[in-house]
Amino acid sequence: MISRSPGGDPPAETPILSVENLSKCFGSVDALQEVFFSVDPGEIRAVCGENGAGKSTLVKILTGVHRPDQGTVRINHQTQTLRHPQAAQQQGIALVAQELSLAPHLSVQDNIWLGNRTVPLLHRRPHLRRQARRVLDIIGLDQLDLDRPAGSLTIGERQLVEIARMLARQARVLILDEPTAGLSDVEIERIFTALKELSSRGTTIVYVTHRLGEVFELCDTVTVLRNGKSVRSCRVTEIDRDGLIELMLGQSMREMYPPSRTSTESPLLVVENLKILGWVGDFSLSESSGQIVSIAGQISSGAAQVLRAVAGLAYDATGQVRIRGQPMSLGSVRGAQESGIRFISEDRAQEGIFLKLKVLDNLIATRLGAGFLSWSALHQLASNLARRVGLDDLRLGARAGELSGGNQQKLALGRSMGQEQKGVFLMNEPTRGVDVGSRRDLYKVMRQLCDNGNLIVMTSSDLEEVVGISDIIITMYRGKLVARYARDQVTMHQVLTDITHPRFRPGERKTES
Amino acid sequence: MLLILTVGALATPGFISTPSLAALLTSISFIGCVAVGMTFITLSGNIMSLCLGATLSASSLIFMAGLSFGVGPALALGLGFGTLFTAAQGLLVGYLRANPIIVSIAALALLVGSADYLTGGQRIYSPEDSLVPLTGTLWGMPVEALFLLASAVIGQIILSYTRFGRHIHMVGSNLKAARAAGVSIWRTVTGSYLLAGFFTALAGILLSARYGSGDMELGVGYDYDAIAAVLVGGTAIHGGEGSVMRTLLGVAVISAIQVVLLLYGFSQQMQYLMTGLIVLTVIMLHSLGERHS
Amino acid sequence: MSVFKTITRESIRPFAVLSGAVVTLGLVDRGSGNFLSVATAFSVLQLFSTLGLVSLALGLSLVVRGFDLSVAGMLSLAGCVAVLTGATHPWLGLAAGLALGLAAGTLQGLVMTGLRIPPLGVTLGGLLTFQGLSYVLTEGQTIAYPNYDLALILTEPIMGFLSYRSLITLGVFLIVALVMSHTRLGRDVVATGSDPEASRIAGVHTDRILIGVFALSGFLTALAGVLLSYSLAAASPVALSDVLVPAAAAAILGGVSLGGGKGKPLGIAAGVLTLCILRSGLNAIGASPFVHEFATGGVLLVVAILDAPELARRLTSWRLRASER
Repeated sequence: MISRSPGGDPPAETPILSVENLSKCFGSVDALQEVFFSVDPGEIRAVCGENGAGKSTLVKILTGVHRPDQGTVRINHQTQTLRHPQAAQQQGIALVAQELSLAPHLSVQDNIWLGNRTVPLLHRRPHLRRQARRVLDIIGLDQLDLDRPAGSLTIGERQLVEIARMLARQARVLILDEPTAGLSDVEIERIFTALKELSSRGTTIVYVTHRLGEVFELCDTVTVLRNGKSVRSCRVTEIDRDGLIELMLGQSMREMYPPSRTSTESPLLVVENLKILGWVGDFSLSESSGQIVSIAGQISSGAAQVLRAVAGLAYDATGQVRIRGQPMSLGSVRGAQESGIRFISEDRAQEGIFLKLKVLDNLIATRLGAGFLSWSALHQLASNLARRVGLDDLRLGARAGELSGGNQQKLALGRSMGQEQKGVFLMNEPTRGVDVGSRRDLYKVMRQLCDNGNLIVMTSSDLEEVVGISDIIITMYRGKLVARYARDQVTMHQVLTDITHPRFRPGERKTES
Repeated sequence: MLLILTVGALATPGFISTPSLAALLTSISFIGCVAVGMTFITLSGNIMSLCLGATLSASSLIFMAGLSFGVGPALALGLGFGTLFTAAQGLLVGYLRANPIIVSIAALALLVGSADYLTGGQRIYSPEDSLVPLTGTLWGMPVEALFLLASAVIGQIILSYTRFGRHIHMVGSNLKAARAAGVSIWRTVTGSYLLAGFFTALAGILLSARYGSGDMELGVGYDYDAIAAVLVGGTAIHGGEGSVMRTLLGVAVISAIQVVLLLYGFSQQMQYLMTGLIVLTVIMLHSLGERHS
Repeated sequence: MSVFKTITRESIRPFAVLSGAVVTLGLVDRGSGNFLSVATAFSVLQLFSTLGLVSLALGLSLVVRGFDLSVAGMLSLAGCVAVLTGATHPWLGLAAGLALGLAAGTLQGLVMTGLRIPPLGVTLGGLLTFQGLSYVLTEGQTIAYPNYDLALILTEPIMGFLSYRSLITLGVFLIVALVMSHTRLGRDVVATGSDPEASRIAGVHTDRILIGVFALSGFLTALAGVLLSYSLAAASPVALSDVLVPAAAAAILGGVSLGGGKGKPLGIAAGVLTLCILRSGLNAIGASPFVHEFATGGVLLVVAILDAPELARRLTSWRLRASER
């Protein structure tokens, strides 16, 4: 049985998990409204949706973290009230969360049994070791040493060990929340193989993602969420990529992006022979002001590292960077700032803004000037900047940690704005964790920055966004440049091909006008 | 909380009389200077140093030993030693991100060892009575208290009105974000330790001037008293939030309670106990207050 | 180079440092018998009995990312309580001291988990409170314990180098080591320190673990304090409080990391032994006390620098810049 939206067909097989009329609101925000879907044993179900579509709320209800305001969750045809996470675990629902939950200092075996209530006090038992070995074998980690500390594993291996842990807990329904974020394509392949193996053994998999390629590669069926509602559930064979995008975005996304433009001025930023140990082999770039340039690539491509290096944040980078023809030395953030580089990190909470400090302090962080501070001037500056990015300047005294994700990103951007000198904005994943409404504002601000003579170089794992916002798209694969395109010369499909399996050798530069 | 304390203090007979106030002011000045210094270390995200007490003692020794060259050189030597020795620890912590607590323990052991080697565990006495300007009273206030006040004001101005001060807040609040914002981590951390060393050395000099001698026992326990004052004042133990003025308040609260207890006839021992309980209570109150806001 | 790597491997390092200290002192001693003697072994183990359990307590709190400053206060407080209550019945004093340590540790754990206060803040308050309490109980005086026989029994040499006191200490180390390595509890303790959030998601009751570790820390410190006071036949609020720095130094030498998740009881034992051997050994061969301080400080400084997270980055960066020129 596939479709269970209102008026859908009756089930053909017995679903192991079904959700009916589920609603949940937080304050005045409807996170979920009347969500329906159901999954059969052994099925791999994709749950797709943009950020803010309600995916994480759904996951939290299924795992007993939140309780729904309305609606029922049925497991094996029995209505269950999942009051707390343990209740969900007892029902055989297990979550592999985005944030990893392995203790790095413990061995693989200990991590597999960590938190498992069935383990006896004296836990060095041969049968536990055998069982750990068995679950690892199932998911394809048959070579992995049980005694290796989890901290020494790659991120992909850790993700697999998490899955093994859930298997050891006899999970019948495995929920994975964007498990491939941060993984290389080889590792993603390993996880897919493991998941397919599990599904063939009868484990049900609910696969939450916003990466469309994975839906078609891995899943049998798909449920699309948009603005908290389940829009459609169907087999993946019944839908194509564009149809899925339309369902997820509801058309409106195309209007979100301001019109593109190109520039023919002399280059503002020139990067030559950039090398970063372990990441980037040899990368060059030369771009003029007034444009948005996206560097698209997977995590392992080194795109984000290129921006970090140009911003002066890489300690192991070599190469030449020139801004307006003036050479700039690598490795000094201050030096880069003085040349007109403004870096906006993808990791807002850890590296972008100061959550514990006030909004005011955040806005003026790089603008303190020399000598004694003039607070009245700094106040003026801060409220100016706040207005420019659309932040209420009444909130200058609030702590940055109290703002929403979108407003925090505006804050990070606002800090870099309003300088006389036109410069280069380097943005890693500028819309990660930003809701759809704030995205539109951000795109508008970005376009304005370019119109004022700045250059934006950004990276994004959201290809839709890359193709939508950029004037120039540069694709990277394993530390090398694959190609450079103007926006109207490329399709999303081409970009996806370039960054996953480029057809020509990386480094060969495809020229265009 | 503060209101209760103030009312309680003022309602205590004898609290506002000059001798007890002067005694209070003098006694808190030494701890106060160290606490002002410790504030910089805590604010910069490096929790605390277990070496400030020993640095205070060592500065007092060097000051006393330096007096044979005159007061000026002695001051320079004492202050210079405390400042540079602590700044060197700051350099290790800031440049290599070495663990601040291990570094401070290592520095403590090295300092105690050197002092022992050089003095043989002896006290050094002031050779002459040339230290009058560093003791006594001025405008009815103990000189030590004026030094504390000046230290606090200077410290607060550095924190609030200089770029370096804001950098300390930024590094303490979020080191990676500070680096991405172009703040030099090692300069900021080294600078924080340098200031901590300076204010600690100042306390050492004042203390040895008052006693007319310097020895390694002078500073024992000052680390804990200072960090207690910092925390009672409400500076966050993980850095980024707080101020020198809050620390000053923390010192004042702890000392006022001790004096009130003394005036009510509690024994010295009871005061120790009450101090501990009050530190515990205030830290808990801060945490509760933070959760409600 | 591989020998160097083995030595610097973290699990082996405490023992390597320990053997290093023994060999060095043995070479300096050159067979004169001052260092390599049963008497030195005895005095090392007596020192070990004082410092060991405190260091173990502090080390365990460090494993779960706490820093139990209060051990310095609890050591003297438990001693004072035992001496005051156990004048006629030593067991009663022992029970009172241990109960107090357990209760105080539990209370501190409850406060830090219930109110979400960083352990350092809570245990600083605990340190000052316990110290104050022992001053109040003793009225600031050193109090004598009339049962000298007990002191003699506890410190009487067994087979030349052991004593009941050091046997108890070694036994406790062994039990804690077994619990840490062979039970689910030990695994959960390491997990909690290794990554608290991850462990919570995985289903570990991290709050209970934290409370348990601080309770154990109070208990172990109290045991050390009671044994020390009984064997000295005296308790004092002052004399014993200078234990924190050597205890922390020993734990760090023993492979405990302040970042949590790292540290084993046997490693801590090796760390404590290293410090004790340095102290008694240097004493035995007639070195001045400052040599011991220098040695401790120097070793700690090297550990601090080797463990510094930016060291490798700085080295890479220098190498790259040098090769560019």
